[in-house]
Amino acid sequence: MKLRIKVDPDLCIGAASCVTVSPETFQLNDENKAVVLDHSQEPNGRTYERWIEVNDDEKENIFLAAQSCPTLAIFIFDEEGKQLFPEL
Amino acid sequence: MSMRYVIIGGGIAGTTAAEELRKLDPSSEITIVSEEQHPIYSRVLLPHYIKGKIPRERVFLKKENWYSEQNIDWMPGVLAVYLDTKNKFVTLSNGREIEYDKMLIATGGEPRTIFENSRNISYLRSLSDADNFLELLNSRENNCNGEVFGGGFIACEYINLFAHFSIPTRVSLRGDFFWSKILDREPAEFVNQYLGKNGITLRKNVSFKDSFIEEELKNKSSIFGIGIGIETDFSWLKESGVEISSGIRANEFLETNIPDVYTAGDVAEFYDVIVGRHLKMGNWMSAMSQGRVVAQNMFGNKIVFELVSSYATNILGLEVIFIGDVSKESADEVRIIGSIEEGGITQLFGRKGQLVGAVLLNRNSDRQIITDFIKNKGLLPDKNRELLPELVEGSKKRE
Repeated sequence: MKLRIKVDPDLCIGAASCVTVSPETFQLNDENKAVVLDHSQEPNGRTYERWIEVNDDEKENIFLAAQSCPTLAIFIFDEEGKQLFPEL
Repeated sequence: MSMRYVIIGGGIAGTTAAEELRKLDPSSEITIVSEEQHPIYSRVLLPHYIKGKIPRERVFLKKENWYSEQNIDWMPGVLAVYLDTKNKFVTLSNGREIEYDKMLIATGGEPRTIFENSRNISYLRSLSDADNFLELLNSRENNCNGEVFGGGFIACEYINLFAHFSIPTRVSLRGDFFWSKILDREPAEFVNQYLGKNGITLRKNVSFKDSFIEEELKNKSSIFGIGIGIETDFSWLKESGVEISSGIRANEFLETNIPDVYTAGDVAEFYDVIVGRHLKMGNWMSAMSQGRVVAQNMFGNKIVFELVSSYATNILGLEVIFIGDVSKESADEVRIIGSIEEGGITQLFGRKGQLVGAVLLNRNSDRQIITDFIKNKGLLPDKNRELLPELVEGSKKRE
């Protein structure tokens, strides 16, 4: 399945919890903000938002990473554009 | 009979542990005893809420019905007052006694207070503190001043908040510098100079117990933001036999000296296998990770807690990152990379030749290299050799 992962850099404080939980999806940039990776790769450069193809285990791990963020700066959407996390 | 897990403390360590235990042990009984009246919320989000970046309801990490959905017996507004580890029960402030098979102590800490809690004194520990601070801001007079007491992370939050609302700010420090038990002379001077350049007045060597402070606090045109440390009430554990030092002592599995009693989060003084000593780690990343690991251990899986945790803040644009063990007292060696002139300093903490911690000031790009270095128990190079070539290389790239 495909997920759209988005970090709000204005909310991100660089706590790096997401990097600890899911380093293949999140890394910090030089501004100390989390950027989104696609399986440790950065096709088309650094970005706060991207679509990723994931399996169930990877999805669970990305959700754990998003939950671990103390400022809830990570947003997850499904293919229909529905926000899966944080729950509305 | 199903296992009875009792968790004292409804913060991020305790709640994460409960969530993990429910996954591991669906039929168990799980109780969270929480001093807070609210469902779990993020303290880290409180400044965002005060600045109006997010609405109040966004600070909550779980909704109230989450607890019942997870079949967790959530007791808000209740304290533990007595622990009997021999007969395995805990007495609560509402008079109830509950028995446990496995107990987790994750009570965190309380902000150290200053004199009486008059209306214009603020602490930034809880949601009600944040609500109170917003009220103070909304009712402030035109000539309002921001008075910050303390030189740590909470003080930084107050500095940013006062700046956000264009309130002139003075910071009173107990000593000469911010983080006086952590920073060496040059990085400490760097922080002071940076704040000075950004319009912050510093007042040094202030004893917060002096009578003139008491007089100052009566000044109704000022808002006082207090961040002078955390303290923990261990009185309820007095007869429990649980070993307490500066926190609740635990091994690398987050087990205390008493069977079936565990600890996690800010209150835990655990054995850190990476840096090789017992320490307390008061940050979000550590508390959440410990919640996960302690749940595994309470369930019966033996998992070592192993994490190089970090905490980051930004004071008026100055990036500050603490990584690992940053106690100057426990280090036998401190080294400095960069300088005030270069606009960025990294302070490294070594013990027995091993790199155990670092403070980064405006040197974000050192973060991953240093974290990996500490995790891999990397040794500091000889003094006469170039200091951590990777870091030096990194600083060259920035020039």
